[in-house]
Amino acid sequence: MISTEAFSSSIVDASDSRIEILTESNSMQPGDELLVGFKFTLSSGWHTYWENPGDAGEGASIKWNLPSDVSASKILWPGPERIPVEPLMTFGYENEVVLLTKIYTSETTAIPVTLNARVSWYTCKEICIPQEAEVSIPINLGNKTSSASKGLLEQTLKQVPVKFNGTYRVQKLDGSYVLQGELEEHDQHDSIYFFPKDYGLTNYTENQLYEKNKDTFSLQIMASEVEIEKESFKGVIAVKKNEEVTFIEIDYPLASKNISQEFNILTLIVFAFLGGLILNIMPCVFPILSIKILRFVEKSGDSTYKTLQQGLLFSVGVIVSFLTIAALLITLKSGGESIGWGYQLQSPVVVSLLFYLFVVLGFIFMSNVVLGSSLARLSSISLNKSDSIESFLTGVLAVIVASPCTAPFMGSAIGFALLQPSFYSILIFLGLGIGFSLPYLILSAKPSLLNFLPKPGQWMETFKQFMAFPMWASALWLLWVLSNQVNNQEIIQVLVGALMITSGLWLIEKNNSERNWIRWLVRLPFLLLLIFSLWLIPTSYSDLDEPKQDQLAYTPKLLEDLRKENALVFLNFTADWCITCKVNEAVALKTSKVRKLIVDKNITYLEADWTRKDPIISSALEQYGRTGLPLYLLFPSKGDPLILPEILTEDILLSYLTEVQ
Amino acid sequence: MRNFLITILFIFVQTGFAFVEIDSEAPNFELTDTYGNKVSLESFKGKKVVLEWTNHGCPFVAKHYKTKNMQSTQELAKSQEVVWLSIISSAPGTQGYVTQEEANELTITREASPAHVLLDPTGKAGMLYSAKTTPHMYVINEKGLLKYQGAIDDAGGRGFMFKDLLEAKNYVKNAIRELNQGKRITDPVTKPYGCSVKYAG
Repeated sequence: MISTEAFSSSIVDASDSRIEILTESNSMQPGDELLVGFKFTLSSGWHTYWENPGDAGEGASIKWNLPSDVSASKILWPGPERIPVEPLMTFGYENEVVLLTKIYTSETTAIPVTLNARVSWYTCKEICIPQEAEVSIPINLGNKTSSASKGLLEQTLKQVPVKFNGTYRVQKLDGSYVLQGELEEHDQHDSIYFFPKDYGLTNYTENQLYEKNKDTFSLQIMASEVEIEKESFKGVIAVKKNEEVTFIEIDYPLASKNISQEFNILTLIVFAFLGGLILNIMPCVFPILSIKILRFVEKSGDSTYKTLQQGLLFSVGVIVSFLTIAALLITLKSGGESIGWGYQLQSPVVVSLLFYLFVVLGFIFMSNVVLGSSLARLSSISLNKSDSIESFLTGVLAVIVASPCTAPFMGSAIGFALLQPSFYSILIFLGLGIGFSLPYLILSAKPSLLNFLPKPGQWMETFKQFMAFPMWASALWLLWVLSNQVNNQEIIQVLVGALMITSGLWLIEKNNSERNWIRWLVRLPFLLLLIFSLWLIPTSYSDLDEPKQDQLAYTPKLLEDLRKENALVFLNFTADWCITCKVNEAVALKTSKVRKLIVDKNITYLEADWTRKDPIISSALEQYGRTGLPLYLLFPSKGDPLILPEILTEDILLSYLTEVQ
Repeated sequence: MRNFLITILFIFVQTGFAFVEIDSEAPNFELTDTYGNKVSLESFKGKKVVLEWTNHGCPFVAKHYKTKNMQSTQELAKSQEVVWLSIISSAPGTQGYVTQEEANELTITREASPAHVLLDPTGKAGMLYSAKTTPHMYVINEKGLLKYQGAIDDAGGRGFMFKDLLEAKNYVKNAIRELNQGKRITDPVTKPYGCSVKYAG
């Protein structure tokens, strides 16, 4: 590094571009802040890039070589220009650009100091040349004085995006984003263009639609062809007035698409654990509990240590089995994903299927339908293996053999686990396994507790039936989720489907004929009912039902008549080509709360459609001093109308509608 | 007549980019390889396929080949029986346009091991995939579904020329491994980086 100063200078010439390091002052005191710029001068027709280069290329990068008590800010990028490279689009700078950085020193910094940096950048025309240079500039000790470059640096600083002063919002509407806002000196703006900070947000090449309203602007930007989910809508707008461009930062949080990730994983694990515990008192498992423990005790003789060991091995067997189920499930799930199934609550198909599942589980608890083969008695399992292996395998078998009884519970666990990331599924099944095996472990540690256990009996059946209600409650919740995705008619369809499945199950339950052929015959309608109920499942989102709103077309005569009757009137001047109008309608005017309030307060909703520039509507607009859209008028029963803001939110609109008398 | 047809075709493809979506069918194309054989994507159904848009004159591509990063990715693909197609969409007279012989020479000198190097001077295939940069990578599964699109690795961004590519996270290698294990691709879409594809303007 000693030789650095000798070789590097403040200006370096590269092919078709030259780089120069500039400072606002040639001298400074310890503790001062210094504005530094890297000036790139490019041959005519060549360009270099912004921090988001667009479809190709890469912005410059600066590697500082500074003493340890001197630091540098990130690059302050001036706003870019669009540089089309047909058919692609890039963002950058042509001819000349200065990239700014602030240098911070401390009280202890030794001055004179040399600011030294290695810069790499691309100079591009049709082709790109990667370039690298080392530049340095000495700074003397003394008070800051304006250097020859100070003017240029400060002028460049004005091109660096500033915070948005005022309000703005971003809405996503059918494959495009609409940015709306209020700017100072609104009437002086000629156009606005949005430059995204990241890839995967907006389309680079498509034209952006700029709309200037009375006090606000709307800018419609096509979404990127390849979309990547983002937390915020980030970028810079270039606001042009009289050939002068200012740049303003945009950073607006975007609503996440996920509506289902509301479960807390801890709650789920606790429920899984409790579920595992409850499994033990199911009619086909509970009687075995005491028998099994007694067997452990019997086999271990008097050694409590040995009983505990047996209990532990049994528990391990149970947990391993549950984890195996989890692993199978995860494999199944990733297999499903690779063929395009989405196990998410966002899909009406998945929600409907889960709804059916929970209805069926409730039915099974309530009735005597037995799933799977008749239960093999656990106590009859005997293997000619060593005691330890036997205990382990008994644990495994306890899970498998008890499955006809535990399946309904497992069903719900599986249902929820499918919606979770793989790691969570494992935790859920681990919880289930621990819950299931814990009573064995405790009892094998202290067999005397067996005396306190209630005797198996009718109460277990009652308990099983009771468990139907939580299942149906879950079904109800899923129906609520579904109601946010599809319309009423499709909800009814799914309910009819549930009716069919349950009546089919009832048929199966009553189907205890001795004759094989009758049993098969009865299964046929069940199968048909099942298929029909699956066919009823809605496959995609549908328009939600909203309260019907009477919508009348505006005529001056109609308005006059309504005014005479002292009616409350909302008049919406709109047009198909008006972006602001469409956004306001989507986010405020057509929401269910607003529609309901309009109906409840008996407000007459009039729409003046100016799509074809109807002269009658034009003259109405003129009457209110407008030549353009949107215009929202709210007429109280007496007196002059209220003029609503151009950018409506649901809250603003609701408060106007609530207050109007 | 032939030129007329090509002109018409040009106008047609210039009307805009098609774009490809993850998990949807990768559009078919037929191109001539550097030995004069017609090669179509369809003929590789049943095998995984990697598409690499390339341009030897592009400094980004040059760095990936100089550091052997691209070659080692090709070798991994080859060892897993994945078909590697390098596609050159540079129009005649632009950077990266090569004849069959030049392309073969490049393959030998760079010790590259693609299954085929395909010439796409009209930009037809590039437009079909909306290939924007060199390199721009796509991974297609046995069923012909697109599973990955974007950069070769995460070394893109400013300061690329300073970075050690062998330490970068190679998205294409990861995608091939994850497909082989039947797993879901961790990063199915990334930002492609590099030089622009030199389409006929």
